[in-house]
Amino acid sequence: MTVIGERIPRSDGQSKVSGEAIYGVDYAEPGMIWGALLRSPVSSGRITRLDTTAAMAMPGVHAVLTAADAPDAYAGWVLRDQRLFAVDRVHFEGQPIAAVAADTLAQARAAAAAIDLEIEPLPAVVDLDHALSPDAPLVHPDWESFVPTAGPDFPRGGNLAAESISDPPGVDEAFARAHRVISDEFVAQRQYQAYIEPKSAVGIFRDGRYTIHTAHQFPYNVRDRVSQFLNVRPSAVRVVGHTIGGGFGAKLDASLEPYAALLSRAVRGLAVKLVNTRTEDLITCPSREGAITRLRSAVDAEGNIIARELEVIADNGAYSGEMPWLASIALHCARGVYRAGPTRVVARLVYTNTTPTGAFRGVNGTYLYHAVERHMDHIAAELGVDRLEYRLRHLFTDGEELLNGQVLDDAGILRQGFEAIEAAAPWAELQAEKRPYRGIGIGAAWWLTNPSAGTAVVKMHEDGTVAVVTAATDNGSGAVSMGVTQVVAERLGIPPADVHIALPDTDVAGFDGGSQGSRTTRIVGKASQIAADEVVEKLKNVAAGLLEAAAEDLEVAEGTVRVKGVPGKSMTLAEVAVTAMNTVGPIQGTGSFVTPFPDFNPGCATGLMLPSFPTPTYHVHLAEVEVDPVTGNVRVLRYLVAQEVGRVISPDGTYGQVMGAVTQGIGYALHESLRIGEDGRYRERTLESYRLPLAGDVPRVEFFPLEHPDPDGPFGAKGVGEGPVLLPAAVIANAVSDAIGKPFNQIPITPEEVLAAIQS
Amino acid sequence: MEMTFTVNGTQAKVEIDPAETLLGVLRERLRLTGTKEGCNEGECGACTVLVDGLPVDSCIYSAAATGGRRVETVEGLTLDELGRDLQAAFVAAGGVQCGFCTPGFIATLVSVLRENEAPSEDDLRTALAGNICRCTGYSQILDAVAATVSRRNGR
Amino acid sequence: MELRAADSLDDALEVLSHRGDQCQVLAGGTDVMIQLARGEIAPAVLLHVEKLDELRGVEANGDTRLGPLVTHRDLAKGLLGERFRSIAESAATVGGLQTQVVGTVGGNICNASPAADTLPALLVHDAQVTLRSSAASRTVPLQDFVVGRRATTRGPDELLTAITLVTPGERTGDVYLKVGRRSAMEVAIVGLAMRLAFDPDGTVNDARIALASVGPCPMRSADAEAALVGGGLEPDSIDAAADAVLRDITPMDDVRGSAAYRRRVIPGLLRKAADLCSQRAGTGSPDGEG
Repeated sequence: MTVIGERIPRSDGQSKVSGEAIYGVDYAEPGMIWGALLRSPVSSGRITRLDTTAAMAMPGVHAVLTAADAPDAYAGWVLRDQRLFAVDRVHFEGQPIAAVAADTLAQARAAAAAIDLEIEPLPAVVDLDHALSPDAPLVHPDWESFVPTAGPDFPRGGNLAAESISDPPGVDEAFARAHRVISDEFVAQRQYQAYIEPKSAVGIFRDGRYTIHTAHQFPYNVRDRVSQFLNVRPSAVRVVGHTIGGGFGAKLDASLEPYAALLSRAVRGLAVKLVNTRTEDLITCPSREGAITRLRSAVDAEGNIIARELEVIADNGAYSGEMPWLASIALHCARGVYRAGPTRVVARLVYTNTTPTGAFRGVNGTYLYHAVERHMDHIAAELGVDRLEYRLRHLFTDGEELLNGQVLDDAGILRQGFEAIEAAAPWAELQAEKRPYRGIGIGAAWWLTNPSAGTAVVKMHEDGTVAVVTAATDNGSGAVSMGVTQVVAERLGIPPADVHIALPDTDVAGFDGGSQGSRTTRIVGKASQIAADEVVEKLKNVAAGLLEAAAEDLEVAEGTVRVKGVPGKSMTLAEVAVTAMNTVGPIQGTGSFVTPFPDFNPGCATGLMLPSFPTPTYHVHLAEVEVDPVTGNVRVLRYLVAQEVGRVISPDGTYGQVMGAVTQGIGYALHESLRIGEDGRYRERTLESYRLPLAGDVPRVEFFPLEHPDPDGPFGAKGVGEGPVLLPAAVIANAVSDAIGKPFNQIPITPEEVLAAIQS
Repeated sequence: MEMTFTVNGTQAKVEIDPAETLLGVLRERLRLTGTKEGCNEGECGACTVLVDGLPVDSCIYSAAATGGRRVETVEGLTLDELGRDLQAAFVAAGGVQCGFCTPGFIATLVSVLRENEAPSEDDLRTALAGNICRCTGYSQILDAVAATVSRRNGR
Repeated sequence: MELRAADSLDDALEVLSHRGDQCQVLAGGTDVMIQLARGEIAPAVLLHVEKLDELRGVEANGDTRLGPLVTHRDLAKGLLGERFRSIAESAATVGGLQTQVVGTVGGNICNASPAADTLPALLVHDAQVTLRSSAASRTVPLQDFVVGRRATTRGPDELLTAITLVTPGERTGDVYLKVGRRSAMEVAIVGLAMRLAFDPDGTVNDARIALASVGPCPMRSADAEAALVGGGLEPDSIDAAADAVLRDITPMDDVRGSAAYRRRVIPGLLRKAADLCSQRAGTGSPDGEG
């Protein structure tokens, strides 16, 4: 009897459906007061007046803080380029300038609004190409003084926040002898994660330490960022996690937490809570970055791609956050999953006077795969070749060596993905059944499972149940509430309901790399499995004496320790656990895990901060769309996903990740415009104009899991959650281009563009 | 001003501001935090509760207008047979991920299913237009409703 | 701020007669509560009228008369019957279920949004609005009542008490089409209502065309209507109607859509609307739907 691959109810399900679960915005402390931030109304300017006198005199106000009240410290995930409050200059709309604590939220907001602020506007750097031109103003004239958070400095300078360049030999020669050269330019807007729970934080300064309550994907990162901003050692900060109302990457770095902490200190330890309004949340969120991607491919007379160039310029916003780490992802995606000869890759991340960008599920990959897959359609069309056949002809196979020297032993899985899609939606039939204003798009991708470290303690209670202590968070995916729970239950032969996993607390649980990059089921599942195995060994040792059998003849199964093959010779786990109290002491096990980076060639590129993609997974998507010729609206009629998952641990969790990610991808492709005006401010500022897909906007995804268990993963698991967001923009753009017969090379595709194309 | 209404079967008397919303009364004054605030503008539906049986966005519903009316929140729907069936089905079908939108979905769906015992999937997709889920892509929520409908109609 | 809950129409009119200029009338509140929260309005008095049963309900004897507190949901479910499908369709697109069950047609009218969905549909049905004060009552055509962006001719002491529609005759079809980027929850980029009446031979003998989100307030296009009358919806007459609409409208660029797009969708929308009207009137070709 196994629980791996079985449908189990998520452990936090009942509390969520009944309203009992306490999310970050629900959390309250005794005597708690409220905070609010004064944020910059402009994207670039000089603060000429900042007077808090009037605000301080407002009813209920306890404290008003500005840069003058904060440590003179710089913070940042990768580069320490950011201060807690704006000092003299503001660099993006929404940047905090002051913080207020007051008895009520309304009082705090009123006082923040009453702060006397004058800003002399300065020119804003907004356009990505222009940001790198010599005449562009510098977003940070003092960029040279910024220090990397860890390790050596990386290629950067002026408005160039990071750069990764790979220039292998043979590219120019191949272009010189090419039969033809095919070029494209792609433009992608930003995308707001738009979790339904706005960000919040409660800070408490007590006993000389800061405790922060927050609903966060990565509590240890909050600890580090708060310690940097407040200039204290990391252990002076304790972060306690609460149920998260969605994150999708936007809750990986600190946001309101350091302000809550500093305000609490200013009011002598009263708990202070901050919560974003939806508009504050939207305009300050580290959204998926906008980017311009330029692709050129050299093609020989037989139609083979003999060389390629990819240039991507991505929008860092005003501060770096996690972004410099991710610049080298362009190298891993430049060819998609198709052979394309030597490839020059130039990835540049640029500072602009806009809200800092950050991680959103499928970081960088969404627009890179969009570019590569649109470009593949373009090449096939130029050659007059069927675009599916063209893809299959150049598809990666087992043993493929990548641009960074990494070898994909199992890339042949991609062909199985195409076959799974073909079986459900035969390409020839789709072509034969084509009607006006209908189109088909297909594409494929590979992706990593984030390797960051994690740890877990599994402790056996005297009643035979276990607790798992970990700083891993369940952002809603079910990775903890189902995945890790199932792994531990399976290992100990107990029902999943007997596995209790507490919310994270950095004072209690060891480091965890956060709910990002599809890592939790694999990394924390593996750490928990190791911990559970230690528990199993200890249980057997204690039981061996009682059962008068050698430990190696025992097994832990069905809630018992029993002698293999001898029915009736067994003890319950509770009996063993109680006995242990008098013999060896309480039973618990610990486990830690991290995936090493696969071998790569360090000399292949500069700025190679994410050098290779561990634990690869493979993805093939197909979309069928219909265009409304009256309005230009696009409707996705059918959507198919074939995806390598290692092994399905939880079928509901796996499908939920695929369906949810595809829906976010459909929004990215079609609905979710997030435009930046020439003034550097967002144009879409509420959930009315920032349009999230509704139940009526998405089809039911047809999903075909491919299972090739990973020997290093818990029960073979690989990452699941991120990959399915990589391709919807690509295959939908291909489908719309197919339907209209004209290229759509922007994300999102708007009805305005579609109708203009139809009518032109 | 004072306002008296019935919440989850119990009379409540609260002091309110004239411009206050029902959501504010529920979350801040009565600490019924199961009802969520997602946008405060009637766009996301996370704050949906039932007023005299009808699903409303409590973030844009006047607290004063609630006087004398009957409000059901997710906490109360946990005691309602249909509400409980839906909640169980959401968990069983994978209709919950982060769960922040779930109380609002439950409220809307209780109202929909009280009015129509067997809505079609298209009906449901239309009826749920005012409830946004960012996690699931809705399919497993619809599965949960289908399971609830067949379970209830089968008994 | 003070809240007055009116318990009778006379009570409401009494409040308005004394403090009407400081009053914001509150019905379902789906617009007003947002405007309050954003600080766009700060009235001294909120006059809650939503419990006044005399402002609810529908009477149909000859003309159809509906109370301003009739909700979008009531309309969307077909309260007015088959002859007013455009009104049902327009109400069904106002927000989601949560907005529709509390949002009222009177509120939609008095809020006078340029993008108000029900207004074009009411306009093609010759809606008249009745306004009462404690001193007087007047009835005016809807198009003379809503006069600009969030502007009506309602006097501070007046309350909207009824909306009257002329029931269409035989061989009439009507429709409301809305342009937005999602399946629902859209503020109209363009809203178009049309009502066509046909002779037995299929000739259009009466045409009404009204649009939202193409100018400061929802409006009818008389020239476009004239272009359709006397013909059989030939492409030329649709083109002429489209040209007339495009001359009449003054669309803007806003966050929801560009003026250029608003213009671009009009001809196709008119064609689609005309086909649906024809079909609903029983004169269209059998494959006209869609």
